[in-house]
Amino acid sequence: MNKTLKISFALKNTYRVNSILYALKQMLILKKILPSALYGVKGLKIFANILSVIWEFLSAFLGKLLYIFCIYGVIFFGYDGYSNKSELFLHMLLFLTVIGAFLNTNLFNPTKEKYYAVFLMRMDAKQYVLINYGYAILKVIIGFLPFMFLMRPLLNVPLWLSIVLPFSIAGLKLFVAASSLWDYEKRGFAYNENKLGKFLWAFVALMIILSGGLPAVGIAIPQIASTTLFILFVPLGIVGALKVIRFNEYKAVFQDLFSQTQPFADRKTQALRKQSEKHISTDTSITSSRRGFEYLNELFIKRHKDILWSASKMITYVCIVLTVGVIIASYLFPEIKETTNHLILNWLPYFVFIMYLINRGTGFTQALFVNCDHSLLTYPFYKQPGMILKLFAIRLREIMKINALPALVIGVGLALLLFVTGGTDNPLNYAVIIVSILCMSAFFSVHYLTIYYLMQPYNAATEIKNGMYQVVKIATYFVCYYMIRVRMSTIIFGTLTIVFCILYCIIACILVYRLAPKTFRLRQ
Amino acid sequence: MNNNIKFIIDHLSKSFEKKEVLKDIDFTFEKGKIYGLLGRNGAGKTTLFNCLNRDLKADSGDFFFEENGQRREVKADDIGYVLSTPTVPEFLTGREFLKFFIDINEKSITDKKSIDEYFDYMSISPADRDKLLKDYSHGMKNKMQMLVNIIAKPNILLLDEPLTSLDVVVAEEMKQLLRNLKQECIIIFSTHILDLALDLCDEIVLLSHGELELVEKVSLDNKDFKDKIIEALREDGNE
Repeated sequence: MNKTLKISFALKNTYRVNSILYALKQMLILKKILPSALYGVKGLKIFANILSVIWEFLSAFLGKLLYIFCIYGVIFFGYDGYSNKSELFLHMLLFLTVIGAFLNTNLFNPTKEKYYAVFLMRMDAKQYVLINYGYAILKVIIGFLPFMFLMRPLLNVPLWLSIVLPFSIAGLKLFVAASSLWDYEKRGFAYNENKLGKFLWAFVALMIILSGGLPAVGIAIPQIASTTLFILFVPLGIVGALKVIRFNEYKAVFQDLFSQTQPFADRKTQALRKQSEKHISTDTSITSSRRGFEYLNELFIKRHKDILWSASKMITYVCIVLTVGVIIASYLFPEIKETTNHLILNWLPYFVFIMYLINRGTGFTQALFVNCDHSLLTYPFYKQPGMILKLFAIRLREIMKINALPALVIGVGLALLLFVTGGTDNPLNYAVIIVSILCMSAFFSVHYLTIYYLMQPYNAATEIKNGMYQVVKIATYFVCYYMIRVRMSTIIFGTLTIVFCILYCIIACILVYRLAPKTFRLRQ
Repeated sequence: MNNNIKFIIDHLSKSFEKKEVLKDIDFTFEKGKIYGLLGRNGAGKTTLFNCLNRDLKADSGDFFFEENGQRREVKADDIGYVLSTPTVPEFLTGREFLKFFIDINEKSITDKKSIDEYFDYMSISPADRDKLLKDYSHGMKNKMQMLVNIIAKPNILLLDEPLTSLDVVVAEEMKQLLRNLKQECIIIFSTHILDLALDLCDEIVLLSHGELELVEKVSLDNKDFKDKIIEALREDGNE
């Protein structure tokens, strides 16, 4: 037992230390400086070990502190009209404890550490569980104790109850875990906290609504009832602990747990490929009468219609409904006309962010890679400069079509709204709105396809291996997000957008034509 | 294709951080032969192939063809590269993949045959020809990959462990195919299976210490030749 304790903690720590070192190595600047043998460098290892210990400490206490603080914040600022704070606190804590008992079991979370320990290193599953799960439960109790105690005066909870509460929380966790074990014995199916069924999700949603919703209408579970339940959780916990200790089939439970999920990156990418394979239409009537790359493209688009077009169509429908809704609303409540009109004439920059959110660029390039380029890039003929550029042009046309559909509806919808809400002195506004929204959509199409061709970020295992690609994607997000704050008249911003997008598209295409034959390769 | 063609690797080097995987490689491959490339795990066989296929940029050095004493650059369509794990576009049927390939390589394919003739050549049954490639077995995907790589008759064919996971019938078919092909191109065949290399290849080349080295058979019988190769590989591992 003592040995299991040592090994499992050493394993967990090694895993964490190596993850920290790996993360360091992935950083752009450190990549060049750090040696490839960094996992053996003593200084770095000590540094990572310190981080690991800090992390362990934080995970035990900081999480609990935040949790209690959040409840506290909600009670005092969200429901400031409710006078019995201790009753409210216990009410919320009760429902959240129930949710936590199901969603944060530790035992039924298929983590990599469990896989390494029980399957790769063949540790005794039961001993592993007793040590690690015991430790996790202990962390819950010790983590909560000081904060329950400290918050006691603020919440007006009796001292004895503040000491009992951590044991109650742990108790319910143990009982739910034990129930899952009983269920396993009965049905042979392991509970997986990351894969909840429909009923459990509905149950969790109900708990959330009850925890926050009831107090909103002035109802909370009477303190005497919640206190009784919390006290009851303690003996239930003891019953649960006995079951956990007596249960002998942990290995089988884990086997089932891991067969449901994919703990490793390579398995994840396999799952991604399997998933994308599922999207390939098996409709035998799909054919193409074209030739060469147009033939490849047409078959690709037709057989992946599901993933390529469905989101775009859905967004389009939503936009149509919204536009019609606002038009009807402006007739029913004429007073909103002026505000709407003002918004349309001054809030165009906001639409950069909206267009960013709805554009299908990343989804499209990911589908291109996983289902097409991933395999074809291994063939030398596919990498000939002329071929790469020919296909780039075809794909640009396709992604532009996909993005243009909702853009057209948004552009025309906005122009229509502008018209029905009082119109504008300068009719050019209508054209600028439609054209600039279309330009934004064209910009995102070009942007994502260009960075895909210039930085081709995936390796043969469909993992993203290019830090720069991620940086560009994040930067795109921030720039678009920043646009929310920009206030400029539609005619000026729209014109600037049109000019910028046209220039960007030209420059991007020149860059692709110059560089893509060299950059469009599988990452090694 | 010209009969006097040679493929020359000239001072090719590649390092990963401090590890020199390919050290100033100089080697000449001749047409009409199958070269068995042997090396320990991690010796750099795949790195060498990736450099030759330009998936990986070499640090220095070059490789080119020499035709009748004239140097010529290697173009993308000069190379066929068959991977151990076949990768085929899953969303196409076998027939569609071939049609697409033939369409875009029309100019470079000499003596073009019909699609079904190609399928017959690879022993892919008529029932499988119009199935999506995602539903092909491993062996069939491998055949498709090989087929696409040989239709355009590349001057050099790189094969990275291509027969390891095939069933005996397909493996035998592929071996025969390679024997037939060798008159038309230079074949470099990397493998871990010594018997396979001895059975199929005309020359054995070792990749050890980051260098390519031809193992001379001279007058050795098969057993001694085998021992010599293993001894050489063992030295590499003891470094």
